[in-house]
Amino acid sequence: MTGNETNQQAGRRPPVAEALDALFDPETIAVVGASRTRGKLGQQVLALLRSNGYAGRIIPVNPSGGEIEGLPAARSLEEIDCPIDVVILATPVNIALDALETCARLDVKAVVGVTSGFSEAGGDGHANEARLRRILRDAPFRLIGPNCEGVVRPAANLQLTFSPMFNGLRPGPVAMISQSGALAGLMALRLGERGVGINAIVSSGNESDLTAADLLEHLGNDPQTAVVLCYVEELRDGRRFAEAARRLVQAGKHVVAVKGGRSRAGSRAVQSHTGAMAGDDRVISAIFRETGVIRAQESVAAVDAVTALAAGRRPAGNRVGIISVTGGLGVEMTDLAESAGFEVPVLAETTQQALSQYVPFYGSVTNPVDLTGVVLANPTYVGRCLAAVAADPGVDIAIAIITFVPDQQFIEALAEAYEGTDKPVLIVWTGAARSSASGDSLRDRAVPVYDSPARAASGLTALLPMKGEVR
Amino acid sequence: MTPRETLEAWQRAGRRVVHEADAKALLARIGVPVPERDPAGGRCVAKLCHDGYPHKSDHGLVRLGLTPEEAVAAVAEMAARIPGGTPLIEAMEQGAVAEWIVGCKRDDTFGPIVLAGPGGILVELIDAAEIRLAPVTQEGAAAMLGTGPGARLLEGLRGAPAADRAALARLISRVSVFFAENADLVSEIEINPVMVRADGKGLVAADALIVLAPAVGNKEHDA
Repeated sequence: MTGNETNQQAGRRPPVAEALDALFDPETIAVVGASRTRGKLGQQVLALLRSNGYAGRIIPVNPSGGEIEGLPAARSLEEIDCPIDVVILATPVNIALDALETCARLDVKAVVGVTSGFSEAGGDGHANEARLRRILRDAPFRLIGPNCEGVVRPAANLQLTFSPMFNGLRPGPVAMISQSGALAGLMALRLGERGVGINAIVSSGNESDLTAADLLEHLGNDPQTAVVLCYVEELRDGRRFAEAARRLVQAGKHVVAVKGGRSRAGSRAVQSHTGAMAGDDRVISAIFRETGVIRAQESVAAVDAVTALAAGRRPAGNRVGIISVTGGLGVEMTDLAESAGFEVPVLAETTQQALSQYVPFYGSVTNPVDLTGVVLANPTYVGRCLAAVAADPGVDIAIAIITFVPDQQFIEALAEAYEGTDKPVLIVWTGAARSSASGDSLRDRAVPVYDSPARAASGLTALLPMKGEVR
Repeated sequence: MTPRETLEAWQRAGRRVVHEADAKALLARIGVPVPERDPAGGRCVAKLCHDGYPHKSDHGLVRLGLTPEEAVAAVAEMAARIPGGTPLIEAMEQGAVAEWIVGCKRDDTFGPIVLAGPGGILVELIDAAEIRLAPVTQEGAAAMLGTGPGARLLEGLRGAPAADRAALARLISRVSVFFAENADLVSEIEINPVMVRADGKGLVAADALIVLAPAVGNKEHDA
């Protein structure tokens, strides 16, 4: 039985929107399994919730009562004397199931189950799953998970998770839905490093109740969301996911998806050519393309795609202008752009004249522009050259490639040139780790910065997908 | 009996793979052009259709380019070998400029989908089919035909006449709508090949197959 069928059978379940509104902006959170013992899930959840500055009421729930992390603990959920927006379950599976039964009798809006030991576990897990489904059949709350890493919402200082991978994120346009908690952490960390802001992250786990399609609809419709990033292994409600994605794309938003487990062989006997030709992976690629979902080959490519899209600038066409402090990287970027279906046209006469003021005779002002090492001695030149290329009427997207950076002024000049144009700009900074200059002025503006031409090509492809998936 | 009632009757009778003669008769009722049956003259195709033998040519159950008299003799010979089959004698289509496959199936993830691409023997050679959620509108089907390597085949390669893309788009849309409306009863519909004539001259379904879903309460046999 799928999660979807369960939902359809249940007439009395509360609306998804009501539960998720409460989940993402809760006034009261109960942490079941809150503990004083370092290393326990419940201790980590409570500590992260506290250290990230959540301002609402937190109620630790522990049978021994007393105080935990300086907060008065309830001995049970029943002891709590007010409505509870969110219950997070961080206990062994049997205690979690008992708590879910209690939640069904109380005024609880949403439950987040980081507890494992259900269908994913086999053996006893199946019995636990069956009990879970019985509880969910007419539960007055909605469940995220179980077997998930939790929920993160930077704007509400909300960290409902045991994982420290989501610390220090800033609010912004990206919503993330991941069936793998670890991949959510990897992607969040990398987006955070680039200054890309996050609206919400949901690790959806087993999706015994709320599915990726539910979350896509809700988070996608949130006006704060401009880009939705999804990692999925099994789409339980694929039709609704696809229809929701199509509506979001039509509304001008972006959906980037990584589909894991693509090599799963079909087990059903094939009666026809149609069956053989429409294999699982082919169909997913085709339907994603049809509905406007940008498919990324793996999670890092997806992050690269989202980094470019989150900047919120749309290219008018496929013509790329490239400036580089070195010939070799400019050539590689050109090759990658062209093989992704982009053009790297010769720049306009006036642009070439403008560039000639800064580029010595042994450089090149056509496209890709080879600035040569001279620009390293004149830190503002690189910014002026980027501005000149971005202003070219024959250029839709500008790419600036730098290696090591001589001083802070060099980076400030690039950031200024980025602000000075409405066109998409990507920056390849190969020497980031070794440079003395700080990239904060780029991060603060969430300028798409990549560490190699290949990674920048993933971002470029997402801006105007022409040939298949983002690699 | 409506086409849906026919499907239900087949399902009740325990049929799984519905043979070409019955499949075509049903598809003709929803507006799919099929070849003339039992023609008085011209070149004919002789077939023996049987649910148990969906791959007819592997069993010598297809003969091409016969006179009407030869066709009658051919089906008699086939019927003597394979009892219980349905003889089918049709006019042989000779004006086609492209052979296409049009298929529908229920995908485990997305539900009803429709596929269209270069068909006939090209299915074995290149896998260039376009896939969409079913049903597709006629405009959606036309967009499928304008995408991918198959588009150039339909345009007419190297001076060959262009195929009747409008007729093909109508057929794709019509079959996908019928499939999506009856996806609880049907697992797959496949027409392969559709013989597409030059622009304005239409097309015919040269072969077809319908795979029924198992009756409700019998789902475990589907896995």
